[in-house]
Amino acid sequence: MKLSRLNSLRRVQSGELIMKFPDDQDESKRPQFPLDSSCYKIIDEIGVGVSAVVYKAICIPMNSAVVAIKAIDLDRSRADFDDIRREAKILSLLSHPNILNAHCSFTVDRRLWVVMPFMSAGSLQSIITSSFPDGLPEPCIAVVLREILHALTYLHDQGHLHRDIKAGNILMDSNGSVKLADFGVSASIFEANSTQGVPISPSSTSMMLKEIAGTPYWMAPEVIHSHNGYSLKADIWSFGITALELAHGRPPLSHLPPSKSLLLKITRRFRFSDYENQQNSNNKNKFSKGFKELVASCLDQEPSRRPCADKLLKHPFFRNCKGPDLLIKTVLQGLPSVEERFKLGKLQRLPSMKMEEEDEEEIEKEIIKQRRISGWNFKEDGLELEPVFPGENCEEDECSIIKQVRFGGESIMEKGSRDSSECCSGVSDLSSPTGNGRRGGGEAEEEAVDRESIMGGLVALKRSLDEQRRAVGSLIELIEGEKGGEMSREEQIGRLMEKMTRELENERKRNFELEMELEFLGLQISAAHNTGAA
Amino acid sequence: MKSLFKPKPRTPVDVVRQTRDLLIYTDRSPETKESKREEKQMLELSKNVRELKSILYGNSESEPVAEACAQLTQEFFRENTLRLLINCLPKLNLETRKDATQVVANLQRQQVQSRLIASDYLEANIDLMDILIAGYENTDMALHYGAMLRECIRHQSVAKYVLESQHMKKFFDYIQLPNFDIAADAAATFKELLTRHKSTVAEFLSKNYDWFFAEYNLKLLESTNYITRRQAVKLLGDILLDRSNSAVMTRYVSSRDNLRIVMNLLRESSKSIQLEAFHVFKLFVANQNKPADIVGILVTNRSKLLRLFADFKTDKEDGQFEADKAHVVREIAALEPKGP
Repeated sequence: MKLSRLNSLRRVQSGELIMKFPDDQDESKRPQFPLDSSCYKIIDEIGVGVSAVVYKAICIPMNSAVVAIKAIDLDRSRADFDDIRREAKILSLLSHPNILNAHCSFTVDRRLWVVMPFMSAGSLQSIITSSFPDGLPEPCIAVVLREILHALTYLHDQGHLHRDIKAGNILMDSNGSVKLADFGVSASIFEANSTQGVPISPSSTSMMLKEIAGTPYWMAPEVIHSHNGYSLKADIWSFGITALELAHGRPPLSHLPPSKSLLLKITRRFRFSDYENQQNSNNKNKFSKGFKELVASCLDQEPSRRPCADKLLKHPFFRNCKGPDLLIKTVLQGLPSVEERFKLGKLQRLPSMKMEEEDEEEIEKEIIKQRRISGWNFKEDGLELEPVFPGENCEEDECSIIKQVRFGGESIMEKGSRDSSECCSGVSDLSSPTGNGRRGGGEAEEEAVDRESIMGGLVALKRSLDEQRRAVGSLIELIEGEKGGEMSREEQIGRLMEKMTRELENERKRNFELEMELEFLGLQISAAHNTGAA
Repeated sequence: MKSLFKPKPRTPVDVVRQTRDLLIYTDRSPETKESKREEKQMLELSKNVRELKSILYGNSESEPVAEACAQLTQEFFRENTLRLLINCLPKLNLETRKDATQVVANLQRQQVQSRLIASDYLEANIDLMDILIAGYENTDMALHYGAMLRECIRHQSVAKYVLESQHMKKFFDYIQLPNFDIAADAAATFKELLTRHKSTVAEFLSKNYDWFFAEYNLKLLESTNYITRRQAVKLLGDILLDRSNSAVMTRYVSSRDNLRIVMNLLRESSKSIQLEAFHVFKLFVANQNKPADIVGILVTNRSKLLRLFADFKTDKEDGQFEADKAHVVREIAALEPKGP
């Protein structure tokens, strides 16, 4: 009885809490933005993605209010139209001070224009890249995280998952307000983090890799594992990763290519020490116990043990949390404008990244596809993502390649899990894994052998090969980086570029070979198919 | 027994009753006045609607209990609660509107003694559909009423009413409303109406063939709006390719005007539209009893069509598409002009 009263009390409280916001910004009281492109004047480009561009613009009839317009090419966007509709709807029905929603959306020929408030400081990710490469100070992190938890509490209460929480999707305004953005229409279509630049330090090759990868670093293990079994708690994991990203300037394991990051993530818990390989040891005690506890609780392998968003808000870490003023003072002072940062990033990318960019698009598309389609495409990738089994003896790349080729059409999950564990072991040695690998391949499902799955497997294989190349590259990178501590920056960059050029060349060759093989196998399969059908 | 799982002082029936009382009060009160008392009533109402939602969907602590859901549903439809809720919806705040929409959606699926009593209720109160459909004309309400409407037309009798009502004509305009989210919602409802209940749809299309396809061609397929054309040609393909609509399909592909429109869509620069148009076009070609004028058009445009199909590809390899294309190409290549 006592319990029940408590429960209903709490319900009442949360009810009131929620009711407060809509009163301020009830839909009917929101200004109606015009649904005609001629009412807007585009000022600058502030972001590009695979099938979308983001502009800074002014809305002339609304006293020239500054807005951000995301223009999504509907013809190029692969997303199912129903998805776009559903997400546009979510976007216009959400109303919360920590969620960036749309003023309005309308079509302009083949493009969907989503008009949103302009967040003048841009994404946290771009702020970090430009001004805080080693991470934000802890009090600032607290403010940002608290605001995001408010947004998550609201979202989760409505049964929505964000599914893409990361610093790149957290935007800040000049008044220090923090909003979660980019769910819905934009979730995976647009990446605001194009500002990552040219390598500055040896470990920053990983920065580029990170960008290529897009989202995987933030994905929860259960999301990687299966397409049907994850819930709101997956957002909590990503939230934890985002906390680390804010603290260190990049997500954990980002010195590894995405597939390895996914892999290691499944095998062990994160520790702050994961960073210490690359960072000076004087950083060791940079963070409070409360912060470490908070992050650790979010990064529990077992989703049910991760606290929910409103519980996290009560964590002692937020007890002395400051207001948004702190962000204005500490973070926004002297920050280049979003436009400048975007342009700078673009310029820096141009000379060295020309080729990579294409790859990036492809991978990004791949990610979009997987996120949208949900089906077993996702599992397919799962073959690279299964846990390490500490006892197992492992060899390097070549062996696993052969094996992966072999598993091609058969039980993808089972074999894949072993293969990937093998090929990753080299990497995990380096970062001394705690190795509490759990076997997660239990949910393997038998997929009927069909042409499509084989082709899919091959494509995934090809990608994983590419990534392994990069992994080795970045390993060499790391080791060399340690040795060459005395080198001047120019020298380092020069060598880096040289190496990358070589790598690129090799990769091209490799790609070509694999493509040929793919083609050949495809032909064989279709031949087999035809004879089978006949 | 029940109290073991949900130790709550109020039963589901109590919650429904209190909600209804509050709705009656809200319904009567004038819209503009905002006294302290009314604010409190509103807050109370919001809480009750939320409570209804958590009984129906469960919450973080518990799964929904079938018996509680049944009791709630029965009490809800025993009296005119749904009408009150729909009428009062514009007076509720955004969060409560969303909760109410989810409650209404859930109730459409609740069975009481293996009967969907929501369907019985709606049949007796079918005019509620008029309110919901008109919601598309109200920017603030469109998405809420639209979502409720889509749930209600899960019931065949309700879908039949909407199809045969005068409202059907309005959808051609709703689909093209400037607000993308609202237009897209209307398009989803339109699609649901025309695809969900096969026999009802077939009957509707046969009876209303003339005006329906005239409007469809003129307002949708020949719209200046890219997204309208793209959705319309896709839906047209879905409708015509459905077995239950074969009579309608035969009629559609015997019309020269229709062929002209579809061929124009084939020429569009948008890959997506081209592809969807192909799936309709192939029906004209595959028709075994092509009228002379259809054959005439195909023969006249033969070389252009063959050239078009020569480099007509899908992004992904698609065996069925390739087979269809080969078939169409063969068929067109072999055509002889008919009659004098």
